[in-house]
Amino acid sequence: MARNTYQARLEELEKDVLYLSELVAERVRYALNALEDKDERQAEEVIEGDREINRIYLDLEQDCIDLLALQQPVAGDLRFIAASFKIITDLERIGDLATNLAQYALDAENDVYTEVDIRRIGDSALDMVDQAMDAYETEDTDLCRSVAERDDSLDEMCDNASQSIVRDLMSTGDFEGDGDVEPEEFLVDVRRLLLTVRDLERIGDHAVNVAARTLYMIDNDDSLLF
Amino acid sequence: MTGTEDPTNDEMLVQTDVSEGLSASESSPKRDAGTVISSNDINVWYGDDHALTDISMEIPENSVTAMIGPSGCGKSTFLRCINRMNDLIDVARVEGDLTLRGKNVYDNDVDPVALRRRVGMVFQKPNPFPKSIYENVIYGLKIQGIEGDYDEIVEKSLKRAALWDEVKDRLHESGLDLSGGQQQRLCIARAIAPDPEVLLMDEPASALDPVATSQIEDLVEELAEDYTVVIVTHNMQQAARISDKTAVFLTGGELVEFDDTQKIFENPESQRVEDYITGKFG
Repeated sequence: MARNTYQARLEELEKDVLYLSELVAERVRYALNALEDKDERQAEEVIEGDREINRIYLDLEQDCIDLLALQQPVAGDLRFIAASFKIITDLERIGDLATNLAQYALDAENDVYTEVDIRRIGDSALDMVDQAMDAYETEDTDLCRSVAERDDSLDEMCDNASQSIVRDLMSTGDFEGDGDVEPEEFLVDVRRLLLTVRDLERIGDHAVNVAARTLYMIDNDDSLLF
Repeated sequence: MTGTEDPTNDEMLVQTDVSEGLSASESSPKRDAGTVISSNDINVWYGDDHALTDISMEIPENSVTAMIGPSGCGKSTFLRCINRMNDLIDVARVEGDLTLRGKNVYDNDVDPVALRRRVGMVFQKPNPFPKSIYENVIYGLKIQGIEGDYDEIVEKSLKRAALWDEVKDRLHESGLDLSGGQQQRLCIARAIAPDPEVLLMDEPASALDPVATSQIEDLVEELAEDYTVVIVTHNMQQAARISDKTAVFLTGGELVEFDDTQKIFENPESQRVEDYITGKFG
């Protein structure tokens, strides 16, 4: 094996990307816990931890630029670095979305539309992220395609949740909740719930991006990018 | 195939011994679209050493084709098959077909000297003659008695070699007084003065500094508008930067992969090629 330092840096990059993904997944999990349990401590941990995620993301971005500039990678190495460069952006954005979720948990005044199963939607989105990163680590093309296929199911869950809320508001004309809550406050809580659903759906989209870049990395196959 | 010429003078021979036509019966159509050079199962032996094994490829016109591979893989040997430079090595033996616009250059009626007029060559080390810049450019034409407007040929060749502006006021000064990069461009001007169809370049920038290398690389891309350029390089990034097609030779004189340069450097078919270009061996 030649270019030992270079090979070691490629392995280090992979390890660091996987570390970032674990950190981001953990933050999403904490945010979901915070939403479910109204756990302010976990919510604050997610918000405060975003700076660390951003720092690691920028470090990894620089590592990719250094490898491109100094090592002139080609072929599989080039695809690995190019894919990793894009994947870390998706991971950083998932981190941002986890921060949003944590902020919603802190801001939520009242439970509204408790029949909307945020935990189930969130676990599904998080599982897609885990699966996409497994595909990246094990270079599993089937897993990449599986993530993309699962996105339809997540989208459907999110659509159903949003539509049921809006349909209920439209059909009942009840913009005042159960009467104990100020109408304005009730609407803010509903809006926050809709944003939660939207952000979870976006986490799924980022998981699909990771899977698409991973498929390109493994097989030079860009079919999931479109 | 054996030759009687002194191999140490091979560079001189290519530059000087040129004559009309490849052979009496062969016409010289130029600038047709499509394949210019086609090799079919070319094998080369140096004595008992099998230097090239069953090399088949088609080199397209007005393009840059790069040959890369580790030392001793046969890439320069293949380059020298194209203008029969291997004839100059006593122990060299070539089998197979190698055609230039459909004519096998190893046919008995082919005059190697005439062939080399159509297939110019530039070497690793700049090798201007100890003569003026002007004389260097027209040396080959004069040797073979070709008359013409030498002033015009000199200007045109030096302009094509991107050297005119730097030397136009000192054409009668020695070519040896030029910098290394300028000397190499002078050699390119000398190689294109007889107006060849193909330009072979054997590591033309490996002895030059980065600025001179960039100038040569820019020039190679420009030359491909008029000529079919085949370049051997040890610098894979140079191949990636300037070539349209890349041939990867690996140990044992084997052509492992020949494809569009982008394909070779982004997604090669062969794992051996992938391992070589990513530096995992070689």
